[in-house]
Amino acid sequence: MVNTFKKSFALKNTYRANTILYAIKQIPLIKKLLPDNPYKVKGVKTFANIIAIIWECGDAFFGKLLYFIMLSLSAVNLFKTGSSSGVFLHMLVLLTLVGGLLNTDMFEPSRDKYYAIFSLKFDAKKYAVSNYFYELAKFAAAFTLFGIIFGMLSGLKLWQCLLIPLFVTGVKICAAAFTLIYYESAGKAPAQTVFGKLRWLIALLLVAAAYGLPALGLVIPQYISIAVMAVFIVLGAVFARKIIKFNNYREIYCDILNESVIDKNAVNIIKEQSYKSISTDGTIESSKKGFEYLNELFIRRHKKILWSASKKTALICAAVFAALIIAVIVVPEGKEIANKFLVSSLPWLLIIMYAINRGTGFTRALFINCDHSLLTYSFYKTPGHILKLFKIRLKEIIKINLLPAAVVGAGLEILLILSGGTDDFVNYAVVVIAPVALSIFFSVHYLTIYYLLQPYNAGTEIKSGMYQVIMYITYMVCYIMMQIKIPTLYFGLAAIAFCILYCIIAGVLVYKFAPRTFRIRA
Amino acid sequence: MNFVIKNLSKSFDKKEVLRNIDFTFESGKIYGLLGRNGAGKTTLFNCLNRDLKSDGGSFYLETDGVKREVLADDIGYVLSTPTVPEFLTGRELLKFFVDIHGDRIGQPKPLDEYFDDMKIAAEDRDRLLKDYSHGMKNKMQMLVNIISRPNILLLDEPLTSLDVVVAEEMKQLLRTIKDNRITIFSTHLLDLALDLCDEIVLLSHGELELVDKADLDSGEFKEKIIEALKEEYDG
Repeated sequence: MVNTFKKSFALKNTYRANTILYAIKQIPLIKKLLPDNPYKVKGVKTFANIIAIIWECGDAFFGKLLYFIMLSLSAVNLFKTGSSSGVFLHMLVLLTLVGGLLNTDMFEPSRDKYYAIFSLKFDAKKYAVSNYFYELAKFAAAFTLFGIIFGMLSGLKLWQCLLIPLFVTGVKICAAAFTLIYYESAGKAPAQTVFGKLRWLIALLLVAAAYGLPALGLVIPQYISIAVMAVFIVLGAVFARKIIKFNNYREIYCDILNESVIDKNAVNIIKEQSYKSISTDGTIESSKKGFEYLNELFIRRHKKILWSASKKTALICAAVFAALIIAVIVVPEGKEIANKFLVSSLPWLLIIMYAINRGTGFTRALFINCDHSLLTYSFYKTPGHILKLFKIRLKEIIKINLLPAAVVGAGLEILLILSGGTDDFVNYAVVVIAPVALSIFFSVHYLTIYYLLQPYNAGTEIKSGMYQVIMYITYMVCYIMMQIKIPTLYFGLAAIAFCILYCIIAGVLVYKFAPRTFRIRA
Repeated sequence: MNFVIKNLSKSFDKKEVLRNIDFTFESGKIYGLLGRNGAGKTTLFNCLNRDLKSDGGSFYLETDGVKREVLADDIGYVLSTPTVPEFLTGRELLKFFVDIHGDRIGQPKPLDEYFDDMKIAAEDRDRLLKDYSHGMKNKMQMLVNIISRPNILLLDEPLTSLDVVVAEEMKQLLRTIKDNRITIFSTHLLDLALDLCDEIVLLSHGELELVDKADLDSGEFKEKIIEALKEEYDG
């Protein structure tokens, strides 16, 4: 058993160390520091192994630390009812049950399990049991440490704190044992049955109870929490035997770890989804010619993720604004709040327009379902054809995004008028034009960086670090702008000016560079 | 018409995959490009199709001593894994290609005739390509690549994963369209190369080398090729 564990741990560590080296090799500049084949250089490998072990320790403690900080802050600050130790235990007990329901590590399909059990023929039982108890030990260690620190901070007694790690492992053991018993009687893992979905519902209710009840002033009395914990500790001790005695681990793993684990990495899932998004409606056709023909068929066959999604977004926006408008009419204080918000916090608009834009979905479908194949034909890569199709697509993506933008603009306008209006009449124009301008900006932005950086390789993986950095910066800028308060007039005019300028620059860049950059990445 | 490659080279990191390749391909012939796994056949094709930027060298078409640049329309490239736009039907893809290459094709035939030539069944022509089998996608890819009558047809291991019937159909097709163009056919299957190709070219040590058949019978010829390819490993 110990031997199996040692070997499987070494395997996992190697897997992780190689992943780290691979990741480092993807970072521009830093990758130059590594030798061509870092996997065989001993010093580099040792370095990666050390990081992998630090990662393992971080994995054991860091997440739990955050969890306890969150728990304590919630217990102390958010809910004033009852003793903070009572709320602390209330949340801990319910959230631990959620963890037990959802986090069944032993039965999660993963590559390292697949490699160990099927490629390297580890003894499934020894592998499963030893790794399971190792995970439990990691849990217990972290929960003992943080349980004592945060438990005592919240006012629990030491013996109560010491129950926490026992309780948490007890719940985990019960969940695992339940899975095994279920498997014996039903022949499949519960996650593969209706229970797989049901548990999410139960978990949701438990989370709601964990946060919602204290907010309403209801807290499970401390003695009941302690009693529940005690029950699970006893049950855990009883069911631990089940985990050790169970003999059909290999069968379970055969069920959950078929080839699909290796196949179903994120890339293939995205690809599959993309193919699925193609409409099979036989009536779709086009009377156009050439690239217009190609584009029209593309748009019509991807209606679900383009136009339908955009209409749905527009509807949701309309509903939200309708609710806001009613609120402004009905609630007297609403007017002032809304008006103040509208004339001083328009930067919020950026994150909203960012969230409702279909640009990334559009470019991903473009690549996976269309450009991925057509870019292998040389006529498709001639500058004239690239630019022609770019123009057609730009028009299309702008049109698709304009609908929800118009709804947002109209909603803001009505809200502004109903909430008391503004002295500066330019504001009336700004709140309508700004969302439209931003919508056009995002459309141009996504399509431009797709054409300039074309981040995908033939396996439809994103291979451009630059692309990811820009995506991240786009998000961060939108997020940061949310925090900024400037008069709507200035923001709106600046946004409109920026959008126009950006579109011009983007157009120039695409004309100049896209014929060279719009290629499948090697 | 000749297709001339001059001093073409390409390296990845420090590995020299193509080493100053110099070669002249003649029109009307099928060239079997033989090389061991990883010898750089696909890299060569990707450089010729300008999917990869070569490190140095050039290639051009030469007719009666007049050189001209290889244009995008000159090259048809059939990949080993067929790639076709999944959201189109077979007929739509064909129509799109006929539209785009209108000026090269001149007076196109009715679309169904093209399908007939490729032996693609009537009931499959209006299905989405995402539902085509591997072999059918391969046929479609071949069809759209030859429809524009490229001067150079690059085929990267195109028959390896096809069933025997389709593979035979494809071979027959390649023989019928070989006139007035250069067909370069990469494979690591020696028998296939001997069966189909007019000339055998080896890609080894990053260089292209024509194997002279001279007066060898097919057994001796095979031996010679295998010996030549083995050297690479030993050397």
